[in-house]
Amino acid sequence: MSRTLRLVWQDRRARVGLALVVLFALLAAFASVVASHDPTAQLDLVGKQYQPPSLAHPFGTDFYSRDLLSRVLHGARISLSIAVLSVAVSIVLGTAVGLAAGLAGGLVDQVLMRGVDGALAMPRLFLVLVVVALWEDIGVVGLVLILGLTSWFDTSRIVRAEVLSVKSRQFIAAARAVGLGLRGIVGRHLLPNIAGPIIVMATLGIGQMILLEAGLSYLGVGVRPPTPSWGQIIADGQQVLRTAPWVALFPGLAIVVTVLAFSLLGDGVRRALDPRSQ
Amino acid sequence: MPRICAALIAGVLATACVAERIAPCPDDWCGTAVIATPAEADVLFPPSTQGDIGRSIIDLVFTRLADLGPDLNTVDPTSFEPRLASSWTREDSLTIVFSLNPSARWHDGAPVTAEDVAFTYEVYRDSLVGSPARPRVLQIAGVDVRDPHTVAFRFPRAYLEQLFDAVYHMWILPKHLLGAVPRGELVSHPFGRNPIGAGPYRFVRWRAGESVELVADSAYFLARPGLRRVIWRSTGGDMSAAITQLFSGSVDVLTYLPPEAVQRTETSDEIRAIAYQPSTFYSYLLFNFRDPADPTRPHPLFADRALRRALAVAVDRAAAVRAVDGADGIVADGPVSPAMWIYGAEYERLPYDAARGRRELTQLGWRDSDGDGVLDRYGRRLSFSIIVPETSAQRRRFAQIIQEQFKSLGVEMRITELDFNTFLQRAETGRFDVFYGSYGGDPSPASISEVWTRDAIGGFNFGSYVNPDVDHAVRTALDARDIETARGRWTDAVSLINGDAPAIWISCTVPKAGVHRRFENVSIRGDNLTATLPLWRVPTARRLPRDRYDN
Amino acid sequence: MHRFVAARLLQAVAIVFLVGTLTFLLLQLAPGDPLSSTSSSLLVPRTVVEQQRRAFGLDRPILEQYVRYLGNLARGDFGYSYREHRPAWHAIRDRLPNTLLLAAAALVVTFGLGIGLGVAQGLRAGSRVDDVLSLVSLTVYSTPVFWLGIVLLLLFGETLRWLPVSGATDPVVYDQLSLLAQAWDRIRHLTLPAVTLGAIGAAATARFQRAAMLDVIRQDFIRTARAKGLAERTVVLRHALRNALLPVITLFGLAFPLLLGGTVLVETVFAWPGMGKLTVDAIHGRDYFVVTGAAVLAAVMVVLGNLLADILYRVLDPRTREAA
Repeated sequence: MSRTLRLVWQDRRARVGLALVVLFALLAAFASVVASHDPTAQLDLVGKQYQPPSLAHPFGTDFYSRDLLSRVLHGARISLSIAVLSVAVSIVLGTAVGLAAGLAGGLVDQVLMRGVDGALAMPRLFLVLVVVALWEDIGVVGLVLILGLTSWFDTSRIVRAEVLSVKSRQFIAAARAVGLGLRGIVGRHLLPNIAGPIIVMATLGIGQMILLEAGLSYLGVGVRPPTPSWGQIIADGQQVLRTAPWVALFPGLAIVVTVLAFSLLGDGVRRALDPRSQ
Repeated sequence: MPRICAALIAGVLATACVAERIAPCPDDWCGTAVIATPAEADVLFPPSTQGDIGRSIIDLVFTRLADLGPDLNTVDPTSFEPRLASSWTREDSLTIVFSLNPSARWHDGAPVTAEDVAFTYEVYRDSLVGSPARPRVLQIAGVDVRDPHTVAFRFPRAYLEQLFDAVYHMWILPKHLLGAVPRGELVSHPFGRNPIGAGPYRFVRWRAGESVELVADSAYFLARPGLRRVIWRSTGGDMSAAITQLFSGSVDVLTYLPPEAVQRTETSDEIRAIAYQPSTFYSYLLFNFRDPADPTRPHPLFADRALRRALAVAVDRAAAVRAVDGADGIVADGPVSPAMWIYGAEYERLPYDAARGRRELTQLGWRDSDGDGVLDRYGRRLSFSIIVPETSAQRRRFAQIIQEQFKSLGVEMRITELDFNTFLQRAETGRFDVFYGSYGGDPSPASISEVWTRDAIGGFNFGSYVNPDVDHAVRTALDARDIETARGRWTDAVSLINGDAPAIWISCTVPKAGVHRRFENVSIRGDNLTATLPLWRVPTARRLPRDRYDN
Repeated sequence: MHRFVAARLLQAVAIVFLVGTLTFLLLQLAPGDPLSSTSSSLLVPRTVVEQQRRAFGLDRPILEQYVRYLGNLARGDFGYSYREHRPAWHAIRDRLPNTLLLAAAALVVTFGLGIGLGVAQGLRAGSRVDDVLSLVSLTVYSTPVFWLGIVLLLLFGETLRWLPVSGATDPVVYDQLSLLAQAWDRIRHLTLPAVTLGAIGAAATARFQRAAMLDVIRQDFIRTARAKGLAERTVVLRHALRNALLPVITLFGLAFPLLLGGTVLVETVFAWPGMGKLTVDAIHGRDYFVVTGAAVLAAVMVVLGNLLADILYRVLDPRTREAA
C-alpha cells in the first residue's frame, strides 16, 4: 500500500489532482468560514441585482443580489457530500453483490448478473429519471440513495471478475486447506486484493457522480432551492446568459476543475497499481 | 421494432420528399407572425385545453357565439361582439335567443348550425369530458335548437352575467365530426391534434415539440384576417434564448417579457412591449386553514386570524413588486384583477406596516425564547413552508424575496418548488401551509365565488377559507339584477375577505408581450394573447421575406 | 456466425425483458399507484383514468398485472400520455427521428474526432503535443455536457450569431425550401447540439484510442513491418490503425448509453424536439408512462447498439472470423 502511495505521489499529474481534491474538500468543509456572505442572503434587491464580478463579489451576484462566490463555495459542500455519500453507497452495494455473486457462483451468480445486465442496459440518467418521476419530493437523502442505488452495477461486475480471478489463485486454495472460514478468506485475502480497483473506481466515480448530480439539478429534479447546488445555479444562469453570463460560467468552471481533479487522481492511482497502463 | 423502423423511415422521407415549392403570397393579405412559446400546447380540443398557449391557438381555430369587447366588460350586453351568432335577443329574464350567421362554415366546408351549438353545450357539461369550464356552463339550464340557425339558452335564475356565461366559456365544436365519438374518448381523439374549427385561422400542422402552424381562412365569414400565417415555435424553457431570438428578429412575438427585456425594447427599433389590456391576473400567498397532516383539524398557525393579519401587514409588497416586476409593477389589493369591472372600488385594504406586524406578533405571544432567530410560542416555532410552481420564474422570485422579509421578522418560511402538476395536486389535497397561487384569464368578478366561498371547497378554495358573511355577500352579488347593487355587494364581499386575510395579495402587474414593430393595429387583450390577432397587419412596405411566403 | 447472431439476439431479447421487469418493479414500488396520483380532478378526466386502470388491470392480482404489462410493452403499448392526451408511444414516436438524427451526428463527432486525436497522440506518445492533448481531452471529459452546451450556445449562437440556438428546423421557412436548402437548414440546427454531445464522447474515445494505438505499436508485427522498410504512412494506416481500431468498436457499444443519457441534457439546452426533452417535460408534468416508455426504448436502443458492436467486432476481428 505504501508503495502505491509513493508511486501516486511521484506522478506529477496525480499530485496536482490530489492537491486540488484536498483543497476543494477543505473549502467545502469550511465553506461557512471561507465564504464572505450567507449564500442565501439577499444583499440589496434594488441596488445589487446581477452585479458583474468585482473585488467585493469576485464571481458577481445573481438575480436576488446573492454573492455568487459564497453560493459556489456552499454548492461545493452540497455537491461533494452528495457525490461522496452516493459513491459510498454504490461501492458498498456493488462490492457486496459482486462478492456474493463471485463467491456463491451457480444460480445466485446467474440471477444477480443477469439483473445487472438488465440494469446496465438502461442509460443511468433515464433510470434515475424514472425513479425521480415516480417519487416526488425526495430530498437530499433520497437523492443520495437514488444515485447510489442506480450506480453500483459496474462495480459489482468488476468486483465479481476480480473475485473469480483471485479465487482461482493458489493462495485461496491454501487458505481453505488450512481451514480458514469464508469470512476469514474474504477479510484477509479477497478484500485486500480487490481494494485497488475499488479505490480507483471510487475516485473516478466521485467525479462522474458530481456530473450526474449537476445534470439532475440542472434539469430541476435534483437538489431544490434555496440550497445552492452547482447544477441549479447554472440552470438559473442560463435564463440570463446574455446579460449576466457570470452566473452560469463560474459554477460550471467549478465543476470542471473538481471533476478534473478526481480524474487526475484516479488515473494516477490506476497507473500506480498497474504500471503497464501508461 | 417494426414500428420504430417505420417511424425512422417516415421521418427521413418527410424530410427528403417535400418538393420544391416557393409560392409567394399573392395579395394584400400577407404577413407571418412567429410566436415564441416556452412550453408546448397541451391538446387542441377546446373543452380540455388548459394552458395559455393551447388557448391562444384554439381561439384562432375555433370561435364562440359572441366575444367580449376590448374592455372585457362582462356585464354590459352592448359591449359584446358578434361571432358565430350575428345577433341575439333576450326573450325574457331567463332566455336568450341567438341567430347564427348563415354564412359561417367549418373549415371542411360544412355549415355551422344550431345543432353544433347544442352539441357543444352537451359536451362541455358532460362529466365524462371533465372540462374545467363545466361549473360555469352548468349555470345554463338548457340549450334548445329552434331552427337550423336559431338557438335558445335557458337559465334557471335571472342575473347580470347571463350573456357572458352563455357565450364566453364555450368554443363551438363541429357535431358532424365529433358527434359519433363516445364522450369519454373525446379528449384523446386525434381531432385534438388535428382540429377543424370555424375560426379565422385553419390548422395546418403540428410538429411535436417544435411548432404549430395556422393559415388564415380567406373565406372566413367575418372580416378577413390580416396576417396570412401564424406559427407557434417552442423555444424551450430558456427565457434567455427566447429573448435573443426576439431581438435578433427570428421570432415576432414573445408571450411574456421580464422587466429587464421590457427596458431593452425602449431602445429597440424592432421590438416594442405591448401590455395585456386590461390585465386579468393577480397572485397571492394563500394560507391553509386546515392542518395539512389532518384536514379535520384547524391549521396550527393559520387558523388564527390575528396571526394572518400580522403577517399580511408585515410584508413590504411594494418593494418585492418593484424588484420582480420593475417600476411598472402594481401591488394587488384584493382577490381582484384590473380587468374586473369592480377593480379599484372602495373596498377595505390592509396597509403595509412592518412595525405594526412586529408589535402584533409580540402581543400574540410570539417571542424568540431560545435565541435561534425564529419566533416561538408554547414550544412551537413560527415556521412553515410555501409551495411554489417551478415553472413560474416570477413566483419563485417573489417567494425568495418574501422569505427574506419574513426572516428579518423572525418568521421562517421554507420554499418548496414543485413541478406544476404536483403543485396543483398538493393544493387540491390541502397538503401545504402556504400556497403561491395566481389567478388569471377570467375577467368576471364571479370568479371570486370560485375561490373564496364555502361552495368552492373541493374546487379552487384550496385553503378551505370559510366566512358565512362572505358567502352571503357573494350570493347576493351574483343574484343582483342591476349593476349598482352588484357593485355594492361585491365591494362588501372583498372588504370582508381582505379583513380576514386568507391570503397575502402580491401582484397584479400588467404583463407585457414583445411584438415586432412592423405589425400595425396591434393590441393584446388581457384574457388571451390572440383574441385581437386577426386584426394585426403588416404594411406592404415593411414586409420581411418571411411575410411574403404563402402557406 | 448465424448461430452467434442468433444467440446474441436471444440474449438481447432477454435483457429487454429484464428492463421491462425493472420498470414494472419501479412502478409497483412507487408510492401510491401512478394512476391515482395523475387522476388529479382538474387535469385528467376520471373516465380516462378508469380506462387506463382497466387497460393495466390494476384491479387484478400482481402477477397478472405483470404479464399484462410485458404484453403491452411487447405490442408497443407504453401506456397513456396525460399531457398530450394520446398513447405515450405516439408522443415518443413523433420525437424519435430527431433523437436518432442527433445521436447519429454525435456518434460521427465522437468517433471521427476521437479516433483522429487518439491516433495522433498514440504516434507521438510522450511528446509535448500528446501531453497537451491528453489534458484537453481529460478536461472536456470532466465538463458537464449541459454546461458545455451553454458555453457553445453563448459563443456561437448568441455572441457570434453563426448558428441557430434552438429547435431542429426553422418552422417559418422550412416547408417552403428546396430539398437542398432543407438539408442545409437541418445541418445548421444540428451542428451545436451534435458537437456538444459528441465532444464528451470524443474525449473518451481519444483516451481509449491512444492506449490501443500504443499497445499495437509495441507489438512485433509493427516492428517487422518497419524493419521491412515500409513507409511510415503505410505502417500506420495499413497495419497499426487497422488493429488498433478493433478495441474501439467495443467502445461503440459502451458509448451508446452515455450518448442517450446525454441527449436528455443536450436536448434541454437546445430545445431540440427529441425524446430526451420529451422525457424531461414529462417528468415535470408527471406524465409517468412517457417517462417509463422512453426509458424502456432507450434500453432497447442500447441493447441494439451493443448487439451491433458485438457483430461488427466478430466480423472485423480476423481471429474470430477464421474461427467461424
